[in-house]
Amino acid sequence: MNQAHRVHTACSPAALLVLLLALVSHTHAAEPAPSPAKPFAERLAAADVVNGRVVFGRCRTCHYPDKGAGHQNGPSLWNVWGRQAGTQEGFAYYSQALKDSRLVWSPEILDAWLADPRGFIPGNMMMSLGVPDPQARADLIAYLMQFREQ
Amino acid sequence: MSMRDKSRRRFLSGLGVAGAVAAAAGCDPRAPAARREVRQWDYTADVVVAGSGAAGTSAAIEARAAGAEVLMLERLPKTGGSSAMSGGVCYLGGGTPLQKALGFEDSIEAMRDFMLAAGALHPAKDKIELYCERSLEHFDWLVAHGVKYAQKFSESKELPFDGASLYYSGSELAAPWRDIARPAPRGHVPTTAGHTGGRTLMEALLPAAESAGVKTLHGVSAERLVREDDGRIVGLLAQEGDKTIAVRARRGVVLACGGFIQNREMLKRYASELYDCSVPWASAGDMGIGIRMGMGVGAAAIRMHQGFAILPLYPPERTIHGIVVNRAAQRFLPEDSYYAYAGHETAYNQHGVAYLVTDADSSYDDGDFRMPLLAEAASVAGLEQAGGFAEGALQQTVEFYNRHAERSVDPLWHKHPKWVTPLAKPPFRLYDLSVRSAFCPAHTFGGLETTVRAEVLDAGGERIPGLYAAGRTSAGMPNAPYIASGVSIGDCSFFGRQAGIHAAKEEVAA
Repeated sequence: MNQAHRVHTACSPAALLVLLLALVSHTHAAEPAPSPAKPFAERLAAADVVNGRVVFGRCRTCHYPDKGAGHQNGPSLWNVWGRQAGTQEGFAYYSQALKDSRLVWSPEILDAWLADPRGFIPGNMMMSLGVPDPQARADLIAYLMQFREQ
Repeated sequence: MSMRDKSRRRFLSGLGVAGAVAAAAGCDPRAPAARREVRQWDYTADVVVAGSGAAGTSAAIEARAAGAEVLMLERLPKTGGSSAMSGGVCYLGGGTPLQKALGFEDSIEAMRDFMLAAGALHPAKDKIELYCERSLEHFDWLVAHGVKYAQKFSESKELPFDGASLYYSGSELAAPWRDIARPAPRGHVPTTAGHTGGRTLMEALLPAAESAGVKTLHGVSAERLVREDDGRIVGLLAQEGDKTIAVRARRGVVLACGGFIQNREMLKRYASELYDCSVPWASAGDMGIGIRMGMGVGAAAIRMHQGFAILPLYPPERTIHGIVVNRAAQRFLPEDSYYAYAGHETAYNQHGVAYLVTDADSSYDDGDFRMPLLAEAASVAGLEQAGGFAEGALQQTVEFYNRHAERSVDPLWHKHPKWVTPLAKPPFRLYDLSVRSAFCPAHTFGGLETTVRAEVLDAGGERIPGLYAAGRTSAGMPNAPYIASGVSIGDCSFFGRQAGIHAAKEEVAA
């Protein structure tokens, strides 16, 4: 993926701390923990958006990233980059934990979140096992990065 | 697994559920704890329900209504289970008030005939018959517990997006079933905006349980049953954070913890046809824990390989004018059948590989997220070559199809005439329907064998006293191929109720 397409976002100190804590916590992944991940930037540079579409399929029980599809069981994922988590209008189901997190969605934060959704922000209400495989996770993120205002 | 691993696992399991055995993954049966190992109960109720989806919540409501003290355990921080993430459709018929109000005739016999004919060979006939006979009563029960249906019918073949509450949710209008049983729309969806019917359903049932006095513990995961020396189930051990707690069930335990689509090891072992399907369609809780707890006390687990695999050919409905072919360029189904039928035939009978062939009038919008576009050509011969089919094979299939489609006839699979038109207008397109790369949601249907009272049976057909199961932890009405949206939630809610009713009637264990 072209570096110019990367979205850089502000990251609050609280969010950074959460991120660091998350990175050292173990995962509850359904499959055996994969081998140690390459750095995220490296994985994103090698990302396969075609596979990302397939990996993202499981998220569509609740989330649609497509413009105009709106909120479903989970909030819309259209144009989320750079937005503060838990603040979309019209979605009434955020957990207090997510609202209090002050996270701003960036590809890096999403990578940490999807590595272990339940461990990353305890008490959040996303009922997902995440995406344990680091490269599949980067593929998904590269796919999702396409869904934004140009 | 090495001998050392095995003995270590035995050692750990002897200590309760802490440590390695608390991990949800894996596919080993969960050995029970003996009653005498439990020194002290942390909680006690008449009926203990593991899981808070449609099955568990319905069981809890009915057990409470029968006067039992009920404790419901949910391993996730949020109640509602996979039911809350589903379409929330309940398959009901025989002339429900909603069907009647919207001018549709239906009968219990037509509903039963369809349900018995359209699914697997030798389905759970006793359950299907009871369910159909009690369908009107079940509709009333749902409404009485706060589920709201709008007096609005949808022509859509897909879950309505517009708040409509009644639609043809399955293969009723497709061949050969439309000739076997008089079709009627039986998909009952709680009125809601968008695809949130399951959430809306659980937003009615969960508060109904709470106001009836059901106690619920969040973040508490049932892990092992507790068994008395005489074989009766008298409680369970659960994990609450890093603490193991013992929960006593005076009358019965209801296992309603979902299926196992999120458990890759179990899928590989028990439902290999579903293993490659690209999208596990469930919440994080569907790890097969309830099934393994039952297996640990000798319960029979049946139809474990069955489940749904969905290839959503529609919407848009114009794609139904296309044809689905296999690797040999042969059609193998009527394209207007329920989309879980297309998924089933592909996953189970075509080694997971299939294609959709369309012309300019029947193709998807560009960039549709579900079906990857493999090739586009100005002629069928060109598409055949680009797709790597044997020379002449796809041309022959399309020529045969078109020859009859001129008269709106499909002599091979009897697709309804309204969808049968010649594929004539270039460009022709080939879409990948393989279960690995298309959008192919899947879920499991196999589980513990139960009676119509939701009593769990062992491999010899004997009851395991004190143990009940419902929803996807049990092998219920839904089977493969899946015949209509709403059969699973219908099964969860109806047989969940039976579990609650009958568990509450058990004699108190000593």
